[in-house]
Amino acid sequence: MTRRIARLFGRGGDLNPRNMRLGIWAWLIQRISGIALVLFVVAHVVAISQANFVLKGPLITILDGLRNPFWYVNRTFLAIDLLMLGIIAFHGMNGIRIVLFDTGIGVGLRSHKVIFWILIAAGVIASGLVIYYGLPLLGGS
Amino acid sequence: MSASRSTPTNVWLWLFQRVTAVLLVVILGVHLWLANFGQSSVSLRAILGVILLGLALFHGLNGVRTVIFDFNIGAQGRKFTTMGLLLLGAVSLLFGLHGLWPLIVGG
Repeated sequence: MTRRIARLFGRGGDLNPRNMRLGIWAWLIQRISGIALVLFVVAHVVAISQANFVLKGPLITILDGLRNPFWYVNRTFLAIDLLMLGIIAFHGMNGIRIVLFDTGIGVGLRSHKVIFWILIAAGVIASGLVIYYGLPLLGGS
Repeated sequence: MSASRSTPTNVWLWLFQRVTAVLLVVILGVHLWLANFGQSSVSLRAILGVILLGLALFHGLNGVRTVIFDFNIGAQGRKFTTMGLLLLGAVSLLFGLHGLWPLIVGG
């Protein structure tokens, strides 16, 4: 185990940052962001479910309650939401590149990189729109 | 001809992972839209909620399975991982359905 880790991160290792190119970074971040998103989804589901206990009534009322500054008075929630938005955008856009690759579109080193950066730009724009329209509702402004 | 041989489970899981990925990108977009400009009908939200719950849980937990399997954990470890993740998925599904219940019954 230790020897395997040493080989991975050591000189000439695949996960030694000095050897890592765009593709391996994308692979690594895709995995880490995936794990983070699973934790977030489970927390998100449990939070909505718990809100169901606390704030009785139709779910529309409950969601309004979640948007209430009472919940977002703690800016940590807002920070987590923004972090998750960024992670979702990256994971989703890089995921599209992987699906394209698997279906034989954009194979080849150059087009891979071009597609990657186009999709990242699309993700940044989409996140910007969500923040621009969504942030006031989250009580962040 | 290999047509008579059934498709291995791993291939199905790989395919479902790709299909759910594309669906999640689209439906998550709708989900974020509804969360911000939600004037849609309750039934649409309920249906989307249940679909999103199922897709996200499958895609997420199957992804975790892939990551864990890449660590060469042996046959026993793989079985344990699969069972554990299935259990976590079932519990999360119940939590999620509980959270969506007011929508499902048409609150």
